Amino acid sequence: MSLSTSSEVVVRTRHLGKAYQLYAHRSDWLKQVMFGWYKTYYKPFWVLRDVDLDVYRGDSVGILGRNGCGKSTLLQVICGMTLPSNGELRVTGRIAPVLALGATFDAELSGRENILIGGAVMGLTRAEVLRKFDSMAKFAGIGDYMEQPMKHYSMGMRTRLAFAICAHVDAEILVVDEALAVGDAAFQRKCLDWIDSFRRKGTLLFVSHSPAEVRRLCNRAIWIEDGRIRAQGEPSVVIRAYHRALAMEKDDVHRFSVSE
Amino acid sequence: MPSVKIVNGQQIVVEALDPAQRFSRFLAKPFLQMRYNREIVLAILRRELRSRFVGSAGGWLWAVAAPLFAISVYTFAFTTKLQMSFVGEQGQKPIAYALFIFAGLVVFNFFSEMAYRSPMLLHEYAHFIKQTIFPSDMLAVISTLRAAAFTAIGVVVLLICVGVVTGGLHWTVVFVPLVFLPLMAFLMGLAWFLCAIGAFTRDAGYLMINVVPLFMFMTPVFFTHTAMPPPWDILLYANALTSYVEVMRDIVLIGKLPNPLVVLWMLATSIFTFYFGYWFFDRYRNVIVDVI
Repeated sequence: MSLSTSSEVVVRTRHLGKAYQLYAHRSDWLKQVMFGWYKTYYKPFWVLRDVDLDVYRGDSVGILGRNGCGKSTLLQVICGMTLPSNGELRVTGRIAPVLALGATFDAELSGRENILIGGAVMGLTRAEVLRKFDSMAKFAGIGDYMEQPMKHYSMGMRTRLAFAICAHVDAEILVVDEALAVGDAAFQRKCLDWIDSFRRKGTLLFVSHSPAEVRRLCNRAIWIEDGRIRAQGEPSVVIRAYHRALAMEKDDVHRFSVSE
Repeated sequence: MPSVKIVNGQQIVVEALDPAQRFSRFLAKPFLQMRYNREIVLAILRRELRSRFVGSAGGWLWAVAAPLFAISVYTFAFTTKLQMSFVGEQGQKPIAYALFIFAGLVVFNFFSEMAYRSPMLLHEYAHFIKQTIFPSDMLAVISTLRAAAFTAIGVVVLLICVGVVTGGLHWTVVFVPLVFLPLMAFLMGLAWFLCAIGAFTRDAGYLMINVVPLFMFMTPVFFTHTAMPPPWDILLYANALTSYVEVMRDIVLIGKLPNPLVVLWMLATSIFTFYFGYWFFDRYRNVIVDVI
């Protein structure tokens, strides 16, 4: 499997699979912990199967797929939040996950205090956060609300602040999961501009339901269905195939049930 | 450049270690992790300490007022007829009983705060664990440090009260930090263990709510180990907290060096619990992310 440019591969997966353990009874996990070496008490629910992916340095990859197809799980696995069940994963470089904006926010604290915590979680030191604070405040553009408790923020303001933190993390690989849906058009443009500039020095993995964003930001697109890669390649080609499939297939209500 | 390689759910570490190296790596790991994650630990600790009193006008005064209030209530209780017959030796001032109980309670409250909170700890921070790259093992460290901060305030209030009542402190109080560290290590190990269990099932939390009050009477908070007839007082020491309470009283109230056997037992339980807790948590941390 050695490619000539293998030193340039920052994310490589081979036969990557992820199964969640579904238990029929609440107490079965305990049996699994105690007797797991003897018998399996859960039903594996495969959310990712046989994902082969190579992301090269400087790539920006758009990931398409319907809800529950495994996009977010793939990103979580790549970021190292959860371990894959089988297959091989190799990641080189510092990853900044923008999976759920504002996951670390505390409604009682002010924007300033939340920035200190959010920055620390993203791997910045306190000194770095304090140095970049003015720039973050400027990017967020929420003015005097910075000193208010976050419970008074609107959804859009939270998003602004969260993205401002992410934009100031010096990452080599940026992983963005449908994060920009909330902000207003002007702010979305600002974020897209920033991602655009990030693309020139780093690698981007980008989940979006907006074909326009993927076309604009990505040089490659991946379409995931039922945990497998269904198509990948030129964004416009993949997007067209994806949309054709969406139009053909109805929204299946049984999509999330475990197949026997 | 950091590089991570994972094959079939196992992280591949490309180095061959002999058993001795692997053992020293195991011993060093919790401390290396704390050092590596110190910024995040401090940021969240700062937040937790502050948010405890956010919205209260008294702020930090509460942390000092609570132990003072406790001591005055005990003093009042023992100047009146409420005095229980088995408490301490006869012929002591009521405040001495109050301080005697308070010295035990300082240690016990540290334990009970950790025991109540730990099973819910990972649920409290589920967002952090699932959606950011977060060192979940540091949560136990943070909650230990937080509880330790309040315990430290209690200890200082205790020392001041002892100083005021007896007109001076025993020289042995210099050993207080040396009791505090093993106690923190002991409770940190306990927190790792309980929060890993608590991630799987809520039963751990309910169990603690029922068990902790019982422990209060299995720990010599209101009496000394001499309250038990000789062959049975060994049983009291099976509860590791007993040794911390005894040592704390010896060096703060009585001013004598504690029994070396008790100190040895204290250190042994502390080190064992610390590493067992970390080992247990580390073993299940990858499963925890998926079940929480």
